[in-house]
Amino acid sequence: MICLIALVVFGILGIFSATHRKIAREAFECVFKRIRLKPCDSGLDQRLKSQIMGKLLRRKPKLARFTFRHFETISWIFTILMIVSIIYSGIGIFNFIIYGNCDGENSQEACVYTGLGDVFKINVDCESPLCQNKECSCGDEIGCQEREGDICKESCYIEGE
Amino acid sequence: MSLNVQKIREDFPIFKKQTSGKPVIYMDSACVTLKPIHVINAINRYYKEFPACAGRSIHRLGRKVTNEVYNSRKTIQKFLGAKGINEVIFTKNTTEGINLIANSLNLEKGDMVLTSDKEHNSGLLPFQLLRRKGIGHEVFKLGDLNDFQNKLNKNVRLVSTVHTSNLDGTSNPIKEIIKLAHENNSLVLIDGAQSVPHKEINVRKLDIDFLAFSGHKMCGPSGIGALYGKLDLLKKLSPFIIGGDTVKNSTYVSYEEEEIPERFEAGLQNYAGIIGFAEAVRYLTKIGIKNIESHVIDLNRIITKRFCNLGIEILGENEPEKRSGIISFNIKGIDPHEIAGILNESSNIMIRSGMHCVHSWFNANNLKGSARVSLYLYNNKEESEVLVEEIKKICKMM
Repeated sequence: MICLIALVVFGILGIFSATHRKIAREAFECVFKRIRLKPCDSGLDQRLKSQIMGKLLRRKPKLARFTFRHFETISWIFTILMIVSIIYSGIGIFNFIIYGNCDGENSQEACVYTGLGDVFKINVDCESPLCQNKECSCGDEIGCQEREGDICKESCYIEGE
Repeated sequence: MSLNVQKIREDFPIFKKQTSGKPVIYMDSACVTLKPIHVINAINRYYKEFPACAGRSIHRLGRKVTNEVYNSRKTIQKFLGAKGINEVIFTKNTTEGINLIANSLNLEKGDMVLTSDKEHNSGLLPFQLLRRKGIGHEVFKLGDLNDFQNKLNKNVRLVSTVHTSNLDGTSNPIKEIIKLAHENNSLVLIDGAQSVPHKEINVRKLDIDFLAFSGHKMCGPSGIGALYGKLDLLKKLSPFIIGGDTVKNSTYVSYEEEEIPERFEAGLQNYAGIIGFAEAVRYLTKIGIKNIESHVIDLNRIITKRFCNLGIEILGENEPEKRSGIISFNIKGIDPHEIAGILNESSNIMIRSGMHCVHSWFNANNLKGSARVSLYLYNNKEESEVLVEEIKKICKMM
């Protein structure tokens, strides 16, 4: 399981660093083998495990003992958490693009993306219920603005822009 | 005489370095040893002062290298107790030495080669390859003279065996093996990669026919080794790798072989390595191989005793005296690679893990491998204590 986590983590780090790219590739090979029900024989899982255990053993021996004994379970928990968080992040991004709020349609909840500024300055679809009849009802978080040149004159924008 | 380890450690620049605020604890000397400054300086001297080729050019630098190589060969000849300087052939390493004999001995279909069950792949695979030519190969149990005698028959032309196993440090009784083999008219090739750095070996007293060993396991540079062979036997060998400097003359259809040992040293040689190798031999000789041997056994004794108290399973002989500087062990419930990784991460202790190139033995015994501590002259009691404490923590963690 640790190889799957390594694939995601080092895959992202690998965008910026060649060293991590090598580990990501190794992790990918390992995951690919596991998918085909073959054993991962690169030793990456052992290396990662021993690095974690070595660091823990030096600082927190009791925690090291607990982690070592339940390493597979902990790996599973982290894997599930990672998958769940990826799914939630995907839904949030989708909502943000479509509705301008990561929590979904008509939500009044605070959005983690709110306030990100120009990076996420996206027009909400004019057909969106938020902008029906050229009247915005976006709640406190989102204001209404008129912009020349836009297909839809009135639209919803993130507050403060 | 006990070693002044503190003074010895000053010769090794690596000990001045720290990683994560901790000094290096190097216990993987059965793989490669650390290098003293003397060896590093000798190598540098070649590159700085006379980076030319030996045995070919007559200019001043060429003559200087030729002399240096001659002196190096002489040093190694004396170290081994060999009769003549031309009985020492420079090779890349032990592997090349064994391959040279396997391929040059003119073994024929129906001949047999006897090896031990704990051969390094370098001492096993060359003979597996010979099976294609119809040359048989049989295995005897290391250290078991009865088994050796049972396997010895008139077809056995060569006994090729490891002296000290890199797997667990166990040594073969080579004196008896050589005697029995010679009585059977078989030749003996000794893999001395682990024993030459740790034991006093006199090839003439032991009546060894061939002995292969490496520089990198005895404080020398990597990429250099030596093969000892009795001159009359070397003369009977066919050339293995031929080319530059292995012939006196050649035409489009024939060549005249060079004298021994040059006949077996094809192409431009690793002169820096040869000079560094000889310097390492001088360094070890000055300290005393016997002193080194008793020092590593002392350390082995400390570690073995403490490991036994922790209930750790040690491979090979029970007595540390019979395992030289090697402690190959397993802790139930943890992979050997994890042990090595944890030691490296937690305290900078560097040991080897896995099958140590002796896959055949581990596979035959259904073992995944072992963690291996291998000691040398620069290791001290403090390091041994740190190792034991860290292993204790790992055991508690289980």
